[in-house]
Amino acid sequence: MTLNFLELKGLHKKFGDITALNNVSLNVSKGEVIFIIGPSGCGKSTLLRAVNWLTPPDKGEVWLEGDIVGSLSSKLTIEESKLLNSFRAKMGMVFQQFNVWPHLNALENVVRAQMVVAKRNKAESEVKALKILDEVGLSDKINEWPDNLSGGQKQRLAIARSLAMDPILMLLDEPTSALDPELVGEVLSVLRRLVNNGMTMLIVTHELGFASKFGDRIVFMDGGEIIEEGIPEKILKTPKTQRLKMFLEKLNITSFKQ
Amino acid sequence: MKFDISYIIDALPRLFEGALITLQVAILGFCLSLILATTITIARTSLNSKIFNTIIAFYISFIRGTPLLVQIFLIYYVLPVFGLNLGPFSSGIIAITLNSAAFVTEILRGGLASVPNGQFEAAKSLGVSGVALWRKIILPQTFIASIPPLVNEFTMVLKATALLSVITVVELMRVSQQIYSANYHPVEVLSATFVIYFLMCFVVSRSSAILENKLKVKRA
Ligand SMILES: Nc1ncnc2c1ncn2[C@@H]1O[C@H](COP(=O)(O)OP(=O)(O)O)[C@@H](O)[C@H]1O
Ligand SMILES: [Mg+2]
Repeated sequence: MTLNFLELKGLHKKFGDITALNNVSLNVSKGEVIFIIGPSGCGKSTLLRAVNWLTPPDKGEVWLEGDIVGSLSSKLTIEESKLLNSFRAKMGMVFQQFNVWPHLNALENVVRAQMVVAKRNKAESEVKALKILDEVGLSDKINEWPDNLSGGQKQRLAIARSLAMDPILMLLDEPTSALDPELVGEVLSVLRRLVNNGMTMLIVTHELGFASKFGDRIVFMDGGEIIEEGIPEKILKTPKTQRLKMFLEKLNITSFKQ
Repeated sequence: MKFDISYIIDALPRLFEGALITLQVAILGFCLSLILATTITIARTSLNSKIFNTIIAFYISFIRGTPLLVQIFLIYYVLPVFGLNLGPFSSGIIAITLNSAAFVTEILRGGLASVPNGQFEAAKSLGVSGVALWRKIILPQTFIASIPPLVNEFTMVLKATALLSVITVVELMRVSQQIYSANYHPVEVLSATFVIYFLMCFVVSRSSAILENKLKVKRA
């Protein structure tokens, strides 16, 4: 038996009557890039958010490098929440709405968590922040306030903020969906670099072109379940289930209209 | 009776002393009120306890549904019953604090509501939680969003301190009363008092605009 890098075991999550996750299991190897696709409301976000316990599942387990993430008890002890924080720091999360901190300038956005969580001193954090901001192409914006950045710049800032924690896994929830079409490319090119650097990633997206080019695997979800998964070629060209066929058709029609 | 400005000039030094006490009471009361209201706000969000929230809701509606004057008297006479002989100054501060905190809690509720949930989530996803989450990420945004109503509340507190004269706190209003009951020139003395209160409030509300502009400039 080989040890999986990331292992999701039988995740269940309900919101009232709505089943957001229904027995979802997934194994991810180190360096794997997995794209998650599926219709709106099928549980993609809930799945990503269960991985870093932002939305704790009702049932099921998440294992990262052989350690179990999170605890199902509703009130965490101080020890448990410390442990959870250290797991979260290892899993960078990027949101559709960027969620950069508007009261901090670009540099401070990238410095803050390094000081609070990684306990680095200010000088150390700033050196690292400057390096990463340069990598995402924001070196000329370090003193800028988020309000003055474009969507693409905000998202790159959000990615930089995560990368500063030296994550071993990145969770990206529709990172380009809120962007004007002409700004999508700059974010995708940052993601491409991450892929080339061997980062393990779970990416929810509707950018099928990007997914087919850079994905090791595509996971198709519907109704809170994983319906099909496999290499991009197989999933996109020869879908097995009716549901995936219909989803791909709809997506093609909409992207054609645009 | 004619308006004799010399009574004002004679009264000014003592009125200024009184104004100083007024400022002290207002600043101290307001700072304590900010601390109390911030604590309540954090507890309300993170405890998520029905009992706690109900207690706070009662506290706020009692404070808002009764005259401050009654609250001041009540605290002044109730505290000694519990063996707390704090004197008028401290009792006054407590009354002002308890009163203002109810309003500040409501203001901060609004400020907090303007902070999107994604701000909490981004912080948590990086491993920032507990005190740091509030101190470094959420509260700064809450306070920035609350500046205008908070400054307004401070002017309310500043004006409300005049009521503390009834429990013999020697602030501006009390000093003013002492002067005119000795010289029998209430019109001159009260006019001066009126202007001093107005100037204090005016400066404070102007500072709101300056503070806001400064933060906007910082971001623009
Ligand atoms: N916090 C929540 N409260 C109630 N329902 C929720 C919540 N989050 C998600 N849901 C519901 O769970 C289902 C899955 O949501 P989500 O994971 O966001 O879907 P997706 O990201 O695939 O669009 C949806 O029906 C959604 O309405
Ligand atoms: Mg979603």
